[in-house]
Amino acid sequence: MKSERCVFLMGVEQALEYRVSFFLSMLSAVFPIVIQTTMWNYLYRHSDAAAVFGYERGEILLYSLLASIVSQLVGTGFEGEMNEDIKMGGLNKYLVRPMGYKRYLFFRFLGQKVPRVLIIAPVMAAIIVLAFLQGLPISAGRTAAFLVSLSLAIILNFSIYFCIGLFGFWLTDAGQLFGTISIVLTVISGGVFPLDIFGGAAETLVNFLPFGYTTQFPVNIINGRFGWARMGIGFAFQIGWILIFVWLGKKMWKHGIKRYAATGG
Amino acid sequence: MKRYFKLTGLFAKYSLMSALEYRINFITGVTVEMGWMIIKLLYVAIIYKAGTNIGILTPNHILLFVGTYVLMTGIYMLYYGNFWAIPGMVRQGELDLYIVKPVSLQFLVTMRRLDFAYLLPNFIAGVVMIAAGWHLAGLPADFLSVAGFLFYLACGCLLTYSLFLLPYLLSFWILSVGGISDISSALWDFNNMPSYLYGKWFRRIGTYILPIFVITNFPGLFLMGELTPFACVWGAAAPLLFFALSRILWKISLKRYSSASS
Repeated sequence: MKSERCVFLMGVEQALEYRVSFFLSMLSAVFPIVIQTTMWNYLYRHSDAAAVFGYERGEILLYSLLASIVSQLVGTGFEGEMNEDIKMGGLNKYLVRPMGYKRYLFFRFLGQKVPRVLIIAPVMAAIIVLAFLQGLPISAGRTAAFLVSLSLAIILNFSIYFCIGLFGFWLTDAGQLFGTISIVLTVISGGVFPLDIFGGAAETLVNFLPFGYTTQFPVNIINGRFGWARMGIGFAFQIGWILIFVWLGKKMWKHGIKRYAATGG
Repeated sequence: MKRYFKLTGLFAKYSLMSALEYRINFITGVTVEMGWMIIKLLYVAIIYKAGTNIGILTPNHILLFVGTYVLMTGIYMLYYGNFWAIPGMVRQGELDLYIVKPVSLQFLVTMRRLDFAYLLPNFIAGVVMIAAGWHLAGLPADFLSVAGFLFYLACGCLLTYSLFLLPYLLSFWILSVGGISDISSALWDFNNMPSYLYGKWFRRIGTYILPIFVITNFPGLFLMGELTPFACVWGAAAPLLFFALSRILWKISLKRYSSASS
């Protein structure tokens, strides 16, 4: 585990390299929250929004606050780098190292999350306590379930984006395409709004596709929308999708590496 | 002035030729913008679903306002890549190449590359949403209304350029401006919803101190006859004031430039 620890610590250092930029990026995440909470507050004050959207005011406000935070925690950003490594031959150096490329990316990804977690954790704790005081059904068990689902969401999102990054083996210029995929996945994971407010088909899609299990599922555990039975099914889906994407990643790597030309490097 | 229009035309021509040469990049650029547009449209969908007014604005008015925001986003994105490239040019001394040219350096640096892939989807969607909102809200379509709307759109374009260039000038002082870029993008997104959504003081700050709300709210408000005489004047004066400010700050910032590694 010594090499994994080194890569993990390197990830922490990398995240703190440009501190001003890092804190400004964190701050910029506050603005969408302000827009959304202002909008929801307005709509719930001036219309029968609870009946229209199926969320109580407290639930939707907690959703807006936490979805943005959870998106930050599960967010990746290494897929562009994977594409560069594949295109420019940077992958060469990882092929001869004792640690596999995926393992290296995973531990560095976890390390990069540490500064973010240190800032976000107290904010998230304060929000949850406040929501509890406002009367939302938050308990120790529900909080523990939320933390477990959040950890699984981080692994699931890593596995999904690792597979997306591997498209670099087949596509000539996938750089900008990753931007599109990332935006679309943020939307369909519930990172902007909970998709079940749009009813029927959207809700069914979120329940069956893997993306909702990276953001919408953990947040809906803590805001009290899911009972224990629904949580159990959700966890089964989360674990199932992780296994599928890990398997898919292995298959894609196996086929992709045969196409790798090892240019330059 | 004529020379600058001619140069803009040439830049547009070469940018278009480059876009047609690298067609995959063009298509992926369009898809990126379409992805962002989904998020903007979700806000409209929610307002229509709730079926409520925001202040004096009905959902149809809001469609017009969001359409204006989408159109202005397209126009901003047309030259945004140049703003984004400024920090790199300062760091690597690439301004040396442009500083000796016999035209304004600010113009050359901020307008030399135009990205039509980002303009196209926003332009089409924005115009459709504006037309639909205009029609559904039953707003007047006489000469004065259309001319006034277009005038405030043009003012908004100049204000966007002037206001959103300012954060990038910080790159003459600090190394990494990634966070500044994130903050300015997040500020731009406040226009995703009409200013009537926010409180009175927030609206005043966003109109008179950091006038981001002027950009996408004033054209629609003019159409509705909701601009006070003072606001009408401010809507035309703010772009000029901020353009003058951006010129002054550009010249001050340029004095910090230390040329290439030589």
